[in-house]
Amino acid sequence: MNKGFCLLAQNNGETDYIRQAYALALSLHKYNSGQKISLITNDIVPDEWQEPFDNIIPIPWSDDAEDSEWKINNRWKVYHASPYDETIVLEADMLILSDITHWWKELEKRELFFVSNVKTYRDEVVTSKYYRKTFEANSLPNLYSALHYFKKGNTAKEFYNLLEIIVNNWQLFYGKYAAEQYQKWCSIDVSAAIASKILDNETEITDPNSYITFAHMKPRIQNWENPPKKWTKVIGQYYTKDGSLLLGNYLQNGVLHYVEDEFLTDKIIERLK
Amino acid sequence: MTRGVLLFAQNNASVDYVKQAIFCAKKIKKHLGIDVALATDNVEYLEKTYPYYKTYIKHVIELEYVTNVQKRKYRDGTMAKRNLEWRNLDRPLAYDITPFDETIVMDADFIIGNSNLLNAFDTDEDFLIYRHITDLNKDRPDEFRFNKISDRGIDMYWATVFYFKKTEFMHSFFELIKHIKEQWHFYRLIYQIPQVTYRNDYSFSIAIHIFNGFQRTNWPKTLPGLLWFTSDSDVLIKMEDETYTFLLDKKEWKGHYTLGKVQDVNIHIMNKFSLDRAISKVLQYE
Repeated sequence: MNKGFCLLAQNNGETDYIRQAYALALSLHKYNSGQKISLITNDIVPDEWQEPFDNIIPIPWSDDAEDSEWKINNRWKVYHASPYDETIVLEADMLILSDITHWWKELEKRELFFVSNVKTYRDEVVTSKYYRKTFEANSLPNLYSALHYFKKGNTAKEFYNLLEIIVNNWQLFYGKYAAEQYQKWCSIDVSAAIASKILDNETEITDPNSYITFAHMKPRIQNWENPPKKWTKVIGQYYTKDGSLLLGNYLQNGVLHYVEDEFLTDKIIERLK
Repeated sequence: MTRGVLLFAQNNASVDYVKQAIFCAKKIKKHLGIDVALATDNVEYLEKTYPYYKTYIKHVIELEYVTNVQKRKYRDGTMAKRNLEWRNLDRPLAYDITPFDETIVMDADFIIGNSNLLNAFDTDEDFLIYRHITDLNKDRPDEFRFNKISDRGIDMYWATVFYFKKTEFMHSFFELIKHIKEQWHFYRLIYQIPQVTYRNDYSFSIAIHIFNGFQRTNWPKTLPGLLWFTSDSDVLIKMEDETYTFLLDKKEWKGHYTLGKVQDVNIHIMNKFSLDRAISKVLQYE
């Protein structure tokens, strides 16, 4: 089976997601040998940033996010654009900081898998529902699409087809399945959770005890008494010459979802090369 | 293999840690039945004031008296406090000075009420320490339970009581603690500790974090039993054999207390003044 990582990145007025995607690809290769990664984008990828990618794939069909600043409208297309039989989908603002190639062995047992137990930078399970009010209020599966896996086949195809319908008609679906703590924008996490609820497949596509997870750096879920607006302002970040990243004196392993673009300095990218 | 308890007692102007250590040793003799060593910079005071100390203390280790400008607030309940010298800088020497192959180090105000800690000698571990306290005062806000050394900091471990074997590994560990103590202001900034004063709980926590490769692991294991805790905002009002009665600080009603009682536990009593009053009654017949 052909396996690889895939991410969909589109720049907006504020953030250079292609740069983030480049850093992610560098980090994958730095710690994981023999892995493939494809970037799905319609943006221009500078020549020097193309090297770590196996493929740079245009977004299929039209760009549904052309007029939106938070460009998530095309995310459901990953299934159709991925060149791999088995795909780990990542968001661009992530780094891979250790060897995770053994995850494939675990993931191949599934048709589809979403993370549902993210961690803090201190390796504690996130219990705060601060950013998940609509999930809790509507008993939606606690899925994180930032890191998920699919195997091409009927199960994943059915899921992504439904996800497409939900994303394109999100007000209708949110009104019916997520009416409490109604979220006034479309997100892939809520949309995927609704798809899972409709298909009644939560136990098949996630496991809250799985070791497949990531450190999620949104500031209000770090178990801090006094959460700041930005985590990058309050804890030290050290990326050492030997390739170890410490946040707040904690060595980071696995996948880091750093969220805040200012974290990704040119110095970090230089060291990832 | 020799086994024993090492206590530290360094008096300041108002707190007689030596007296507390003798009481602590008396309880150790009763419940653990193992030898006690006392490290102190007040040997003359010990011998003159408490001539019966040899009943409970087998080894006396003289520490150099060092002028110490480190101070902290000592409370006697919520309404009274004094700013006094805090002479806590010699704990990192525990490895060098202990006369035992296997040692339990305790604060002098940690009172033994059962034999749970003897189980520490029956493991293969080089080092055992408490990660959490059991607060007698259930009304205390969470932030005073010190799960972390600071809001954004690392896991907190309690140097109030710990066990170690004399091994090369533990020698390195204590050398690191000495280094952290010497470079305290660097480490407290790096680890975002607002408190300027050196605290053993913090230096031990930092050393554990470094020894764990800057990650959370299952090392070190916890000591057997529980580390019961009362703060210096609580007041010990009665001590009868192994039963301790406290006035426990009410969270949102300063100067008001709830009555609480505990029995047959190992307890850290932070209010040194009320502990001293209770101990004086017990030791007057020695």
